[in-house]
Amino acid sequence: MTATEPRATVEEPRPAPHRARTTVLAWVTSTDHKRIGLLTLGTAVVLMISIGGLALTMRAQLAQPQLDVLSPDRYNQFFTMHGSGMIYLVMTPFAIGLGLYLVPLQIGAPNVAAPRTTMLGYWLYLGGAVTMLSGFATSSGAADHGWYAYPPLAGTRFTPGPGVDLWIAGVALAGTGMLLMAATVLWTALVKRTRGMTLLRMPVFSWSVVATNLMVIGAFPSLLVAMGILAAGRVNPAIFSDNTWNIGYQHVFWFFGHPVVYVMFFPFVGAVAEVLAVFGGRRYFGYKITVVSLLAFAALSMSVWGHHMFSTGQAENDYYSLTSILLLVPAGLEYFGFLATLLGGRLRFPTPMLFAVAFVPQFLIGGLTGIMIATPAVDYQVTDSYFIVGHWHYTLAAGSLFGFFAGFYYWFPKATGLLLRERIAKAHFWFWLVGTNATFLPMFWLGLHGMPRRIASYLPQDGFGTANLIATLGSGLLAIGTVLFVVDVVVSIVRPRRAPDDPWGGFTLEWATSSPPPPQNFDPAHPVPPIHSYAPLLDLRAGEGRA
Amino acid sequence: MDYRGVFDQVFGLQVWIAAGVFVLVTGLLLGALVLNRARRRDKLPFAAAEHNPLEITFAVFLGGAAAFLVWLSLSNNHRLDYGDTLAVAHQTGLAPGRQPVRVDVTAFQWCWSAAYPGSTTTVSGSCATPAARPVIVVPQGVPVEFALTSRDVVHAFWVPDLAVKRDAYPDHVNTLLMTFPETGQWLGRCSEYCGTYHKDMDFYVRAVPPAQYQAFVQTGALPAGAAT
Ligand code: HEM
Ligand SMILES: [Cu+2]
Ligand SMILES: [Cu+2]
Repeated sequence: MTATEPRATVEEPRPAPHRARTTVLAWVTSTDHKRIGLLTLGTAVVLMISIGGLALTMRAQLAQPQLDVLSPDRYNQFFTMHGSGMIYLVMTPFAIGLGLYLVPLQIGAPNVAAPRTTMLGYWLYLGGAVTMLSGFATSSGAADHGWYAYPPLAGTRFTPGPGVDLWIAGVALAGTGMLLMAATVLWTALVKRTRGMTLLRMPVFSWSVVATNLMVIGAFPSLLVAMGILAAGRVNPAIFSDNTWNIGYQHVFWFFGHPVVYVMFFPFVGAVAEVLAVFGGRRYFGYKITVVSLLAFAALSMSVWGHHMFSTGQAENDYYSLTSILLLVPAGLEYFGFLATLLGGRLRFPTPMLFAVAFVPQFLIGGLTGIMIATPAVDYQVTDSYFIVGHWHYTLAAGSLFGFFAGFYYWFPKATGLLLRERIAKAHFWFWLVGTNATFLPMFWLGLHGMPRRIASYLPQDGFGTANLIATLGSGLLAIGTVLFVVDVVVSIVRPRRAPDDPWGGFTLEWATSSPPPPQNFDPAHPVPPIHSYAPLLDLRAGEGRA
Repeated sequence: MDYRGVFDQVFGLQVWIAAGVFVLVTGLLLGALVLNRARRRDKLPFAAAEHNPLEITFAVFLGGAAAFLVWLSLSNNHRLDYGDTLAVAHQTGLAPGRQPVRVDVTAFQWCWSAAYPGSTTTVSGSCATPAARPVIVVPQGVPVEFALTSRDVVHAFWVPDLAVKRDAYPDHVNTLLMTFPETGQWLGRCSEYCGTYHKDMDFYVRAVPPAQYQAFVQTGALPAGAAT
């Protein structure tokens, strides 16, 4: 090693270490990225469970023909709040919050750039969540126009009542919050890397967050414009008598709406990559090509939005089909990295690894069906049917959520200093593995056999009963798995078992500091180790002849 | 246009390709797990962390696969007249005597109506029960152009058995050109969410021989004993 190790950014002054206060007030006013990150992740987990409850109720309603668990209007409110809640309030905050917690640690920075702006981002998100959900407390109920709120239906003429107003305001607030948070985390990765942490030594996870946040910055302003159009239509519904505004809204919305889909899985691809490498006991295979694919994927994602509009008769279908299908190139390269790492590893199977391994084939089902619906001749049949519902739940619930759980079990000991119980965690995994497939596989069949999405009930003669019953039973398994997940977290807190600094033999900088990390992330007892690659701790062990 | 035929061909091929990819990836994955168990490795099977020639070859292969799938998608979309985004008769270059029969279909919250240009015949219903579903009558064997619009919000005209769907917008007319080679009756549904009773917006499309169709357009009713 030469004396002039490349210095990525200016050295930050590290204030003398101090003990962090743990009062509620200290938490909610904190400017520490770890605390803001944990607040974001914690809020999103609580919301995931409650919004998942809406889904279970819907599944109960659909278990058999003509059930009366929910009235049609209630059902419509539930799918709207479930879908929009999962997207704006759960998966996006998971994605951005995980990056907020981990990126400064992984790049050896003491904190996020602009911590107060980041804090404001959290508060906007929380405010947005409360505003959106408060629609349930109004006399006409919560919003019921679906997660993309097409006008004219979402205008005051067809959907009066404050639920929609609250929804629009809430989405705008939460969207702004996520935009701020993504911007500060991106800025952190660009300017606050420690000595030796060049861009091409950032861990795959941090790169996935960079690509994610670039998409957020490119796409979320468009969401705010879309909410502006809806707000204008709430005041003056006459604008939606004009087709230009209706179809224009769809273009503006989907210009945001497609990239956000990738925001909701990129960080989990990154998390799965880290987990596969660490529990494969080897350097991640194909680092550079993975980084290039993530960036190419993010860039392409801005050009595919019209594939949501193939059946509108008002979009250039060939163009959007072309750009959408091209996505298989970066996606395929990412899979190459996954598989080569697995094939070239000495595998261990603690819970994070189980979720990461299951992510690979399950997310693949989402991707393969994605190519099908990127083909207009196929999409004319399956769009807006249960086939689509199956498709995105494979990407998001069977895919991203598995990546999220892989990350959760992997980094929980780091973030809390506590160990989870492996046996409960593994039971959670198996319930979810069987549950997701039982819930979402029958949906492809239902869609191909003519079941439209967003219907509150169906008739016996439709012949949808058996497949729906299987789906509902599957969602019951998901519910049991989720209870186990909560139990695991509670047990780990009530009967703490201390986690060591590096329980898994990790490769990246966060495993070099204490669990949980000190306020400035690294201190004299836990200095930033030298960095020569994207797996600095592996290098260190290799140097000491330990790997 | 034969939406169902094109759908079956394209989707059928894609399902085979997807199944192949899935089996390959899952096979490699399970292979890795099983080998790992069997050997209880004490060192890595291979140490390399990248292999540029292999990666680039694979990228080129993926590019080729994408090119094939794009070709498959676009050429079949052209067979369907680009999903009728362009003026229908113009696109298909139909002979003058073979101009399509037009049926004006209007969606509304929460049912459908149909009108036949040049005739006072209309079809409507309430969709509240299966018996109250409107039956849109069309001639068998000649091209039919549905002119779709909406009176209020966005709906979508979907006939699952025929694999065809097109949205119906207010202040805009979408066209859908198709031929019904056989007589018969098919269930249609609204597939774009449109409010409280979206779930009930079902209808039928019924294709009858041209002579019976003529009688229907003139009298507003199908002759007794009409083909089903
Ligand atoms: C894991 C358990 C889950 C179950 C059982 C479930 C179930 C459902 C059901 C029954 C619907 C209604 C389908 C319809 O009527 O058209 C639905 C819609 C939806 N779900 Fe999920 N879901 C789950 C997880 C997720 C996750 C993790 C996401 C992540 C973003 C998600 C996103 C959506 C969206 C966007 C919609 C569409 C809402 C709309 O049509 O506006 N779901 N889900
Ligand atoms: Cu999309
Ligand atoms: Cu509808």
